[in-house]
Amino acid sequence: MKKRYATIVEALADAPAERPFITMWRDADDITEITFGRFREQALGYAALFASEGAEEGDRIVLVLPQDVMVMSAFAGAMLLGAVPAILAYPNFKVDAAKYSDGLRGVSRNLKARLIVVDDAFPEDLLAYLPQETGTRTLRCGTVISPPSGSLSVVRDAPDEIAFIQHSAGTTGLQKGVALSHAKVLRQLKTLGNAIGLTPEDRIYSWLPLYHDMGLVACFMLPLAYHLPLVMQSPITWVMRPESMLSLIGQYRCSVGWVPNFALQFMARRATADLDGVDLSSLRLLVNCSEPVRARSIDEFVSMGADYGLREEAVHASYAMAENVFAVTQSGVGGAGPPRRVWVDGRTLMEDGPLTVLADGNDEGARCLVSSGSCLPGNEVRIVSSRGEAMPDGTPGEILIRSNTLFQGYFNRPDLTERAVQDGWYSSRDRGFVLHGELFVLGRCDDMINVAGKNIAPQDIEETVCADPRIHDGRAVAFGLFNPDVGTEEIVVVVEVYDEVDRAETATIARAARAAVAADLSAALGSVYVRPPRWIVKSTAGKPARAASRDKLLRELSC
Amino acid sequence: MDKSALGPELLDYISREIVRQPSIELTLDSPLISSGLVDSFALLDLLLKVEEMANLRIPAGKVQPEDMDTVTLILRTVERVGKPKAS
Repeated sequence: MKKRYATIVEALADAPAERPFITMWRDADDITEITFGRFREQALGYAALFASEGAEEGDRIVLVLPQDVMVMSAFAGAMLLGAVPAILAYPNFKVDAAKYSDGLRGVSRNLKARLIVVDDAFPEDLLAYLPQETGTRTLRCGTVISPPSGSLSVVRDAPDEIAFIQHSAGTTGLQKGVALSHAKVLRQLKTLGNAIGLTPEDRIYSWLPLYHDMGLVACFMLPLAYHLPLVMQSPITWVMRPESMLSLIGQYRCSVGWVPNFALQFMARRATADLDGVDLSSLRLLVNCSEPVRARSIDEFVSMGADYGLREEAVHASYAMAENVFAVTQSGVGGAGPPRRVWVDGRTLMEDGPLTVLADGNDEGARCLVSSGSCLPGNEVRIVSSRGEAMPDGTPGEILIRSNTLFQGYFNRPDLTERAVQDGWYSSRDRGFVLHGELFVLGRCDDMINVAGKNIAPQDIEETVCADPRIHDGRAVAFGLFNPDVGTEEIVVVVEVYDEVDRAETATIARAARAAVAADLSAALGSVYVRPPRWIVKSTAGKPARAASRDKLLRELSC
Repeated sequence: MDKSALGPELLDYISREIVRQPSIELTLDSPLISSGLVDSFALLDLLLKVEEMANLRIPAGKVQPEDMDTVTLILRTVERVGKPKAS
């Protein structure tokens, strides 16, 4: 960053007007390019629009808009006004209207939102149940916004005010609005930019959703504050054409990007079409982030990319979360090499206590683990046991984080904040260990399922599938199983029925479970197992025990 | 391209290569994505297969998952947005 800005708004105001900002690529003949000057005008237009709808400084504005320049300028517009924007995922066509409305109602009620902003195409039935009592209004708006004719008071000097709120996925995630101040966001961007050596020549590439910290902070706030150009696509365009990421990086000479682990493997295996002439030599940093880092995923991508000029040392890793604004750790800082790899005895990973580190991968059961780098300046991690005891190096436990960019708290939820932050340390509920000064992330402490970088609470899935009257109420377990073919977890569900069912009925129950989870949680189930009465293992408290039921299923399947 | 043959051929491919559950019988109008049978990772396979069969290029930026939810919809989408492949 050129200067020490007090707010994100100030950083945006200082950007050279003619400098290119966003290139939104939809297809070769459908590209929007916008400079910082034009982006600012659009943002001012949205600020004026929101003001005319009664939004004021400090008001929360919920944005539910497709991934495009519009949602970004509306986001900046809300900040120009001193209001607090929060981007939610745009509903896909398979959502259940009642469930979606319920989630939106919960968020807007918790945020006491002044406005919910949607586009013209947003389905009317999804807005049917929004709360009126809190004064929340729905605003439909188009993509073309004219700059305001009159003067607009733009807020620039409120560094400790909340800049924006981030939510994570699922019913549980929607209750947790992570509130972040301008000062903390800018401090994170400064620290991260220094760590990765950002220069004015850098150009960022992203397909990441803007309601996620990686998309919002690393791939929108970072280029905005550093006045860097950004080349973007929507996640769905990328998933349908993964090779387009590689050709766009080459075409626009992009140098920096972030992706979740699965994306590397997905591209290595699936981005096979139309790669002739692709040149990845401009890419100096591609950060593997938001899922545990897998050696195989990196190796496959590097091997595929080598044919197209990818530098092996370009692929790095980071551990990040919205509660810390973004990155806690980063590999390769200060010229350090690629993320460190260690071989451990895989059996020790399944037990409490220290890991057995091996010299190489020759032993049976050896597992290669990849670090997410070392702590960024101002960040500390501590590994603790379930009883809160500090764990020595090489012993896994829960990762606690203390930093100078830690969030203010979950908006309006002091109860959740108090549970998550104690004595200044944030409980990540992630499991990992420290070795040689680097952090290795293993997965979640609890049963949270991480599918392609998205955390899904198993309780959400279990509740959804148990709505089927044929399934014994409360007798369903959901868990994640790592699928090495796709490089991420897939969701496995076991349900217990009231009465023995035949094969045909089993198929319809499984089909109904898939459809319900797709509709309620926008997630696809990997496998559904329908089991007879009294199959699911229960805990001593009488609740379904996920780990024990998972082990029982795996034993059954291996027979 | 013999359009009448495309539907059954695509349906057969989806059943065998994507859904892979013989107990599930699919028709041209069976919901694929909204039913949770096909996840977003498989959209790429669908797109590539349709392009190969129809000998057309489908611009991904002009296609949404809802356009691919049934075989009938997929074929309609191909007609709407398909472009000749660059030689």
